[in-house]
Amino acid sequence: MSAHATTGQHWDTSTAPLLVAVGCLLTVPLPFASYFQYHSLGMAVGFLGIGVPTLLAGISVWVKEGVNQKHDQFGYSQMALPIFITSEVLIFLGLFVSYWAVRLWAPLWPPAGSPHIGTTIPIIMTILLVTSSYTYHVAEGKLEEGDMGGFKSMLGLTMLLGFLFLGLSMFEYSHLIGEGFTPSSNIFGSAFYSITGFHAAHVLVGLCTFLAVLLPALNGKTNMDFVKCAGVYWHFVDIVWFFVVSQIYFW
Amino acid sequence: MKEWIFTTDHKRVGILYLIGSMAAFAVAGIMALLIRAEQFNPGLGVASEPTQYNTWLYFHGAAMILGFLIPGLTGWAANYLIPLMIGAKDVAFPRLNALSVWLFWMGIVVALLTFVIPDPPDIMWTGYPPYSVKTAGNTAFYVFTVHLIGFSSILGAVNFITTIIYMRAPGMGWKQLNVFVWSLLTGLIIQLIFVPVLAAAVTLLLFDKYLGTHFFDASAGGDTLLYQNLFWFYSHPAVYVIFLPAMGLLFEIVSTMSKNRPFNYNALVAGMIGIVFISGEVWVHHLFTSGMPDWIRVAQMVTTLMISVPVGIMVMSLWGTIYKGSITYNTAMYYGASCFLLLLLGGLTGIPLAMAPLDLHIHGTSFVHAHFHFIMGIFAAFTVFGSVYFYFPKMTGKMCNETLGKLSFWLNFIGVNVTFWPLFYIGIAFGMPRRYYDYSRIPEATPYHHIATYGAIMVGLGITLMLVNWVYSAIKGPKAPENPWRSASLEWTHAVSPPPHGNFASPPTVSSDWTPYNYK
Repeated sequence: MSAHATTGQHWDTSTAPLLVAVGCLLTVPLPFASYFQYHSLGMAVGFLGIGVPTLLAGISVWVKEGVNQKHDQFGYSQMALPIFITSEVLIFLGLFVSYWAVRLWAPLWPPAGSPHIGTTIPIIMTILLVTSSYTYHVAEGKLEEGDMGGFKSMLGLTMLLGFLFLGLSMFEYSHLIGEGFTPSSNIFGSAFYSITGFHAAHVLVGLCTFLAVLLPALNGKTNMDFVKCAGVYWHFVDIVWFFVVSQIYFW
Repeated sequence: MKEWIFTTDHKRVGILYLIGSMAAFAVAGIMALLIRAEQFNPGLGVASEPTQYNTWLYFHGAAMILGFLIPGLTGWAANYLIPLMIGAKDVAFPRLNALSVWLFWMGIVVALLTFVIPDPPDIMWTGYPPYSVKTAGNTAFYVFTVHLIGFSSILGAVNFITTIIYMRAPGMGWKQLNVFVWSLLTGLIIQLIFVPVLAAAVTLLLFDKYLGTHFFDASAGGDTLLYQNLFWFYSHPAVYVIFLPAMGLLFEIVSTMSKNRPFNYNALVAGMIGIVFISGEVWVHHLFTSGMPDWIRVAQMVTTLMISVPVGIMVMSLWGTIYKGSITYNTAMYYGASCFLLLLLGGLTGIPLAMAPLDLHIHGTSFVHAHFHFIMGIFAAFTVFGSVYFYFPKMTGKMCNETLGKLSFWLNFIGVNVTFWPLFYIGIAFGMPRRYYDYSRIPEATPYHHIATYGAIMVGLGITLMLVNWVYSAIKGPKAPENPWRSASLEWTHAVSPPPHGNFASPPTVSSDWTPYNYK
């Protein structure tokens, strides 16, 4: 916040956006292309080695500035998040439409050679995710009452349920891959792993967001907008799961 | 320097967008010249091999649309102008805004890597499978360019929609907004809804090529046309993401230079909203030759032609705006006035392409190529150039050199017409296909390709002169008066040039009879 010497005006700055953008470039496109296009594991690891710390540094600067209210906070986050979620809905819709298109025109579904996919695991996963939405709702209530300890423990519980969800997902994947059912087995494998995997990626992003809420909260710092937005995002991920379950497992 | 690369101020972010998009434009323009050089004579061999020619086509298309037109309009123009026009201090999320511009730059970096990596992408900007899956080229970089710039666009759309809804100056009603604000709002709604579908499509493409999935592989139960449908479900609305803000900028220039309010403001805004509703139901006209039941062709022909209703309303408003106006002809208005012709040319040649029975015969010919270059490429680019001249005093506090500006305008304007009229003709007369590397089967098209290449060289000269003029005038230009065009819009009446951080000395409020077009 130093005033500019010559013109007497200052310009707000933040190192976070550039760090995050460069981190994104080094963490996803370059390693992916190095490994899959040019078959160089060393180069991929090298890019990841620079990229992941850069990305994490950018995100932590961003969160730090956020909880310390360092910048102009116009306070529109809770209005903007539904607008962002609109576009998330459309990306899932794009995936589902692709799935419907290949499925509805298929002569036989599931295609020959697909294993039977049980419904026990997805039912447990559904219960976990719905419970975690509820526990986060309780956590928000605790924070509004000013019960910081209750907030932290309920947030921790929410994250635990989220991790259990991901763990079950990994268990199911390894089981199916063990039976020889992979993304390249047939079109059902492609759709199954892409849609459930894309949803799992959203769960992971939600958990990272929670981590970014939890770490400052351990030092007693929170930003109510951020807490609410993380919750709305988590509920959205929860709702998408109902579509995933109904379309993939129970149809 | 630190205050530039770490900036979160919307005006500086806007300038960063302008620099990035003009860089993409310049490199993509060189690709266009190389393509024209290759097509000068059949089988000339400027490209060392056909794959290199494909790489030029890829970079030209991808960089012009994703790197120049969309970021130029929804990046530079939106960032610089929206908060000033609505009387806000900044955008709703300044740091998110800075993230958008840097993600866009990272997308440009990935695209530019095309020229240094082995096996660059060679799949046009469309990336149709099965070729994009089977090619040895680096399809991954194509996908990640789309991802980075697409994510940047979505964040930008969220940011600006929030800003326009919640941060208007006290007293500023929906009918008092600048036309550009409306055009951007409608364009960004389209962007918000359709970009994610493109992201999904290219992600599945990435999985198909590198992870062995079968979404677009018909031999394993996938559907090749699925990609084309998903791609155009985004990419036709993308035309309106470009067209609407371009139209908005055009109205700002034309009304200010004519000292006349935009004619029929309510109908004009209704037309823009109408486009949001129709834009998502017309994409199949890109696939008329791809095989489908006739009833779908007929239905999509009707919806496509329906687009000409809102567009027609806008064009009538445009003509009504200059009617009995007091017109000043300077460089900005030269570009504005030329757009009247470009709109007519590009719009009217779109009508035969919307008709399935005609389109079956001229699909994929250079007629199509010339049509969309006029309406999407040149029209939108001319509105960007015109508005850079228009807002030059605002951004730099200096006046731009008018003589050089007009000279480069004439080179550009005559050049594009010389380039694309022959392409219209040979598309119809000889069925000259788009994109061809070698056309030795159609030798009679050669003289027309000569003319087109000469036109492209003229445009190359014009653009170079224009860029030189911008840099020269930004450094050496005479100091600009506060409101050189006597505009009535907030960015000219209430802010100094260039505006400081926070834009306005005191937050502006407007009365109920204020509009940005109350000229004295």
